[in-house]
Order: sequence, then C-alpha cells, then structure tokens
Amino acid sequence: MRVYKLIAAIFFLIYLGLLFYLYRGLNRSEAYPNKPITIVVHSKPGSSIDLMSRKVAEVARKYCKEPLIVENHPGTQGIVAMQYVMDKKPDGYTMLGVTKSFLSTLVVNKSHVAISDFLFLANMIADPEAIITNNKSGLNTIRDVVSQANELNGKQVWIGPGTGSRDYLMALKCWDVMGIKAQWVDYKSGPQSVLAMLRNEAPVYVGNPSDILGKDDLKIVAIAARSRLESLPDVPTFKESGYDLDESMWRGFALKKGTLPQAVEYLSEVLKKVSTDPQWIEYCQGAYSFPDYLESKTFSKKIDDEMSETIDALQKAGLLNNYVKKGSILLAAMALLFGLIIFFVLWLLIGFNRSRFTYSLLLSGLFIWVSVFFYYQTLLFAIPAGLNITSPALIPRLWSILLFITSIWNLINVLKEKNQPVKRGRIKLVAEILLALLIYFIAIPEMGYFVSTPFFLLAGFYILKYRKWPVMFTYSIGFVLFSYVVFQLLLKIDLPLGALFV
Amino acid sequence: MEIINNLGLGFSSLMHLTPLLMIVIGVVVGIMVGVLPGLSPSIGVALMLPATFGMDAMSALVLLTAVYLSANYGGSITAIAINTPGTPGAVATTFDGFELTKQGKPMHALMTSLTASTVGGLVGAIILILFSIPLASLALSFESYEYFALGVFGMTIISSLAGDNPVKGYIASLIGLLLVTIGFDTQLPFSRFTMGIPQLADGIEFIPALIGLFALGEIFFSIENFKILKKDVSAKKAIRKNKTLPLNKLWKLRWLMLRSSVIGTLIGVIPGAGGTIATFIAYNNAKSTSKSPEEFGKGSLEGVAAPEAANNGSVGGALVPLLTLGIPGSASTAVLIGALMVHKLNPGPQLFEKEPGLVYGLFISLFFANLVMLALGLLGNKLWVRIIEAPKKLLYPIIIALSFIGSYFIQNSLFDVGICLAFGLLGWMLKRGGYPTAPVILGLILGKMIEENLRLSLVKGDLSEFVTRPWSLIILLLALVSFFLPIIKKRFNPVKK
Repeated sequence: MRVYKLIAAIFFLIYLGLLFYLYRGLNRSEAYPNKPITIVVHSKPGSSIDLMSRKVAEVARKYCKEPLIVENHPGTQGIVAMQYVMDKKPDGYTMLGVTKSFLSTLVVNKSHVAISDFLFLANMIADPEAIITNNKSGLNTIRDVVSQANELNGKQVWIGPGTGSRDYLMALKCWDVMGIKAQWVDYKSGPQSVLAMLRNEAPVYVGNPSDILGKDDLKIVAIAARSRLESLPDVPTFKESGYDLDESMWRGFALKKGTLPQAVEYLSEVLKKVSTDPQWIEYCQGAYSFPDYLESKTFSKKIDDEMSETIDALQKAGLLNNYVKKGSILLAAMALLFGLIIFFVLWLLIGFNRSRFTYSLLLSGLFIWVSVFFYYQTLLFAIPAGLNITSPALIPRLWSILLFITSIWNLINVLKEKNQPVKRGRIKLVAEILLALLIYFIAIPEMGYFVSTPFFLLAGFYILKYRKWPVMFTYSIGFVLFSYVVFQLLLKIDLPLGALFV
Repeated sequence: MEIINNLGLGFSSLMHLTPLLMIVIGVVVGIMVGVLPGLSPSIGVALMLPATFGMDAMSALVLLTAVYLSANYGGSITAIAINTPGTPGAVATTFDGFELTKQGKPMHALMTSLTASTVGGLVGAIILILFSIPLASLALSFESYEYFALGVFGMTIISSLAGDNPVKGYIASLIGLLLVTIGFDTQLPFSRFTMGIPQLADGIEFIPALIGLFALGEIFFSIENFKILKKDVSAKKAIRKNKTLPLNKLWKLRWLMLRSSVIGTLIGVIPGAGGTIATFIAYNNAKSTSKSPEEFGKGSLEGVAAPEAANNGSVGGALVPLLTLGIPGSASTAVLIGALMVHKLNPGPQLFEKEPGLVYGLFISLFFANLVMLALGLLGNKLWVRIIEAPKKLLYPIIIALSFIGSYFIQNSLFDVGICLAFGLLGWMLKRGGYPTAPVILGLILGKMIEENLRLSLVKGDLSEFVTRPWSLIILLLALVSFFLPIIKKRFNPVKK
C-alpha cells in the first residue's frame, strides 16, 4: 500500500502539471498567428480534398509563421465539418476545406449551417468533370456516345456515385447540352462505379480524370474544362466537340464569418503565395487538375452564382422535395419518446415483481412497437416520380414486417412459458453506475475530459465497492495520464478539453 | 522464373534499415490500435498516413500495411479479454474467446488467436503473391447480385448462433437491420427515420454501437449478476493453471486455420465485402464442419481460430484489387491508395510493371510483419493476462471510460458517446431477456450491403440474374443450406443432455 501511496502522489503531481500546461498552453495571446492553424477536412485521410489540404499545409510552411495542421471530421457529406468550424471561435485558427459538393449538401440537408455563415478565402484547384468509357465499348469520342444514345433511344446507362451528387447534376447537364436522353444508375460510390466500368457493365461513367489513374482499360472521352490538361494532352475538352460545358469540382478554403480581419488578410496572403509555388503547380498537374487560384471576392461571387444554379438543377431534377410529409417528424419523435417513457415506467413498476415473465412480455411488446413505429414512418415518405430508383420504403418495410411476425411468434412463446422467477439481480448497482455515467457524459463538454475522467473513475470504483484509496487514485489518474500519452501525444487525437481550457 | 526474380528484387529493396524499422513500428502501432476499442484498422492506417508523407514510398507502404495487418490481430485481444471487439473484424472472436476467458483460459484463447492470425496473414500473403492476377478477375466478376447474395450468406450465421431459442436471434438481427436503415437513403438524397435529429442524418455510427452493445452491455449485465462482487481469487487460480496452451492443441487446428485463411483471403479479394463478413462465414463454416459443434459459443478453440485466421487472411486479399485493379478492397486499403498517390504512384496493373521492386518488397514485408507480430504477440500475451487478472471492480470503470473515448474520437462527437451509451442499455436489456447481441451487430454490418445491392439490382431490372449468374446462384444456395442446416440437424438429432 505504501508503494501505491507514493505512485499516487507522483501521478497526482504530474497530473497537476498536465492541467497547468493545458490551461496555459491555450491562452497565449500575442500577434496573429501564435499557434498552429487547423485545416478542417470533411472526409477521411487519403481523399482528394484531404491530400490537397495536406499539400497546401506542406507548401505553406515556407510562407506561414505557424504550421498548418489537417484534421479530419467526416460525416453527413460535410455537415459535421461545417458545424465543427461554426462551433469554434472566429479567431482565424480554424480553416475549413471547401468543395463544390458542399453546395448540394447545404441545399439538400436541412441543417443549421448556411452558405452565408462562411467567408470564402480562396479557391486553390479545379478538378474537371470527365466522361469516362471503357476501351472495349467502342465509345472513343463524344460523337460515339451521342450516336449510341440516339440509337438506344433513352436506354443508354450513365453511372456514378449518388443521385443528386455533383456527378449526377453533371450527367443531367451533359444530356441537356448534347441533346440526348439516357438513364442514370446510382452505383453509390466512386470505386464501385469504377469497378463496374472495368467490367464494362455500363457505357458511360461521370467522374474525374484521376479516376483512370493506372487503369489501362478506361478512357476519358472528354473533360468539361476550358482547356486541355497539361498532364493529359491527348484528352479533348467538350468545347472542342462543340459542346459548351465547363464543370469542375473546385476545392478551396473558408473561414467562419466574422473572423478577425488581420487573420483573414494573413491567411489570404499565405494561400496566394502557395498558389504560385512551383511545388503546388506540380502537385495540381500530378492530380490531373488545374491550379485555379481565385481570391476571396471572385470566389464568393462564383459560389453565389453556382448556388442558385445548383438549386435550379436540383429543382428541375425533382430532387428538392420534402421527402417526408410535413409535421410528421415531430409527431414521430414524440411517439418514440412516448413509447420509451411508457416502456421504462412499466419496467420500473413491474420490475419490483422481478419475474422473468413480465420482463419478457415487456420486451416483446417493445419490439412489436418498434416494428409498427418503423412501418408507420415509411408510410410518410413522399417519393418523387419519374426517377430511376426503387422506393426507400421497400427494405425498412420488409424488415419491420418480419420483425412484427417474429415478435408475435416470440410473444406466443413467452405466454406459453411458465412464470419463472429470476434470481434477484443488483439493479441498484447498475442504476448507480448509470447515474455516474450520465453525470460524466454531461460533465465532459463542460469540465473537459482530463478533469471529469478521474472523478468518474473514482466514483465507479467506489460504487463497485472498491475502497483502497491509494490504489483508486493511482488507477484513475494513471489512466488519464495514459490516455494523454497514447491518444494526444502518440496518435494525435484531440480529447475534448472542455469550456475551462478553451 | 520471373516471380523469383521479382521476389529477389523486392527482397533487396526491402533490406534497408528504414523499411525494416517501419515494419516493427507499424506492428507495434497496429496492435495498439487494434487493442483500443474504437480504433479500427482503417482509422489506424488513416492516423498514420500523415506521418508517412515525408518517407520514401517503400517505407510508407510497409508501415501502413503493417499497421493494417496487426490491427486486425490486435482487435482480438480485447475481444478475448473483456468481450469488447477492438475492431469490427473481432466480433466473431468474442463468441468463444470471451467464454474461454470466463473459464479461466484466456491464455488458450490468446495463443490460438495469435497463431491463427499469423497463419492467416502468411496464407494471405502467399495467395497474394502467387494468384493476384487470376484473383483480380474474381474481384471484377462480383456485381450487385453477388454482393447481395454474400450479404445474405453472412446473415445466415444467425441460425447457428441462435442457440436454444432461434426466434430471439432473428428478432435481434432484425433490430440491427432496421436500425441500419436510419440515415441517408442509398438512392435518394434524403435521410430516413432521423426523427429530426441532425446527427442521425448519416445514420448510426457503427463503432460506438459496437462498443456499447458488447462492452457496456456486458459490464451492466455482469454488475447486475453479482459477478464482480465475488472474490476474483478462484479466477486467478484458474488463469495460473491454464498459463500455457499445449502445442498439440494448436497443431490439431492446422487444417481449420488453413481453410479459414483461404476463406478470409478470397472474401477479402472482393472489394467492399471486407474481412468482417469473412470472419462470420469462417466461423459458420468451422462450426458446421466441426466434430464438436456443440462446443461452439461455449469456449471452443476452433471458434477462435477460424474467425481470426479469416480476418488476417483478408488483409492479403484486400491488397489484390488495390494492386491489380487500383480499387480499394477495404476501408484500410482506401487509405493506402491515398498513400500511393502522395508518392505519385498509380495503383493498378501498371504498378507491377513500373515498380516491381516496390510491389514485391511490399509482399515480402507482409512475411516479416507477420513474424514480428507473432514475436510481439507472444510478449504481449503475458501483459494481457495480467490485465485480465486485475480486479473487475477496477477494470470495469476503466473499460467504460475507454469505451467513451473510443466512441468519441471517430467523429470528435459527443453524440456518438450517447450512441454508445444507448447501445449499452440495449445490449443489457437484450442480454437479461436472453436475446443474443451478436445478431444485432451482424444486421448493422450487413444491412447496408444487402439493401444497396438489392435495390441496385432492382434498378438494373433483370432479377433472373440472381439465379442465372453462377456466383450469385452458388452463394445463395450456400446461404440456404447454412440457414436451414442447423435447424434441420436440431430436428433430427435432439441434443443429448
């Protein structure tokens, strides 16, 4: 025990030092920038925008006093990353990587973030949309694609990721400009579409030039850009074939609106210098893209124009609907809450009875309720007509009907069972642990991980009737120090610091 | 013999200090990533990616694949020790691995898992070297019909997991299947069943759900059932007694390990199918061919060996489409594509011609990585057993805190921590009602694949393809057999009691 006392004391001192360091470390205030600047990216490492941001960060080392650090916050087509930036102070230390796909994301997803919340700093690169075919298909030029489309009379299949995605809108635009009719089949993701193209399953794929990297069987028929790519001199543009199409996936950076002017100015200057750096230009060419620097004003104007264009296109495609009938969401949420409350109240009431029978009955009832709840929700779907899709209600309905049947079957089994008393469990202990967990959960955003965790662990040990205090302290503080070293230092994962330390 | 020349070339380009050091670092990081709940192999590889930007291509690739490989093994450690699959691929390992721990034989499970993982990794590497070109056509031949069939086949394992009361297993799996329909629709730009909660727009994040269901559910359940309040002394004694696993027991598993490794590699080859499905199919296969199927779910070494061999076999498999077609076979290899592009290398068939030293060096590094993993694993096992021996009263709160961090850092979102907690409650509720929790996870893993591909097939129009395409037909027939066989067996051979 004496050893534990000593270890606990040492750990505690280190822990205090850590807290002091974290507290001090984030409150320096001198001239901008005095700490690393974070670039928030909405997709996983290795994606196009991630690689671009990391390249910018690398080149910017020459021009920026502080390093730029890329952080990935994937989820909901970018909403997660946008929300993350919105939640940060507008102090110029959090930059968002933005791409054209954000426009559709913001139109389609009903979220709290709007395009007007951002100050668009600069565009860096333009990745042209491309029409890709398989060599074996005999479609070598735009003319071939058009004549095949006319032959098939609307049956030609175009594939790509996502109905309503940029690639989808590009396809619609192409059909419009080329005066053809075709069918869109959604292959969900880029790689799956490329696989389908490799087996020559569909004639045309809408993607980007880098999709054919390393794949001899695929061919770019045309790119939607003003000029040919230097790295792909043989690939023609749409314009050369007489079609006026200029569509590219641009990628750049934005800040939260209201960011300190000196930060905006400083970062704009850095990005401008990066955009002319030979290392950057070389990167763009290697990625089969155009270096396309646009300063803040032009960039914002472009975004405004494209935003209204996107809304129009989605509207025309019949995709700007309310897919769920109005008011029903709230109703459904209330029904869910209501159901759960009834379930827990019943459980508590019957819980004292402690027989397996009542619990099983309650559980079967809950499952029947869940199946009905999901089925009811599918009845509220409003699906636009005229699209080449299957109903989103199909599969949930299938599962909920099956769940309903099996739950009824189970209910009959339960009713046939004899009333078996179950041995008394320590429900109180579980409830205490759950309470501690709940407090911990609420405390993390306020007090931060490093302060709340030792308290939770101590409480947990105590609830589970462990009472050797030096050991308890050693383990709880030791764990926090361990997680700091492993997560923060080794794996560079930021743990929530809480309101106290930000 | 061109292949021998190429292997020689690869060997000489690998034999430098940096790549070799990177293998060791990669294995250490990988095992750590695997052990920590919440860090899946793909997140681990993604976390290491930025660190490789300054390296040469060889070192970078070798490091990342070593992380990928050993993270797949590392996940089994926590699956065995604390019923928390450190990675999705280790879900099937909990079925028997944790049972063995409860019986005081964690060392047996850990040794089996380590050996099986090594065998799986080596077999995967050999298949990758010898057959990557012919296997590429397998990867290409899978269309939506086959993916759908494979998803259904994966689901059929529920009938062998179900135990005495199959209905409860079906209900649990349907709950998983229903929950995974929450979120973005696979064909239209809108989110289903979000109930106005914006964080649900992308669906329920899988890993927090997994951690909650297994780790928290198990903890709540065992707290309720006194288990922690008993003295841990008897458990300690049992662990001491079963400190070593007789080698002949491992030797008996040799054919099973080989077979499961091949299953894992072949399924790993199919892009997007992934190692997790492979583990379920291998487990199912092991059970249906075993001489003592009744031991499965009650601490069978075969039940640990099969999924682990398949899981690590899938690593070699997933590299096949990456290197031969330039298509990622799994989430981790998707990050590897990023790594290749950073070094201005185009994944795909041209890579073999332009950079044979690199490709074959990578192949050979897989052998080294497996051996390093074996050595470090043997050392690590002693440490893991020490942790298992720690009093549960101290261990449980720490596992809960770890689960919370694990759920948090996937998206830096406290909402996910809430998901973890909610699934912990669900797991507890199910467990005390006698429902198995694994089918819920199975539904969450396979639901998307089944729905996406069924609906894509419907859009394409011709449903007869399900039975006219050979692979689709074979897999669907296998699914039928594997679903009904356990039920029929039970009917005709009532279990001796």
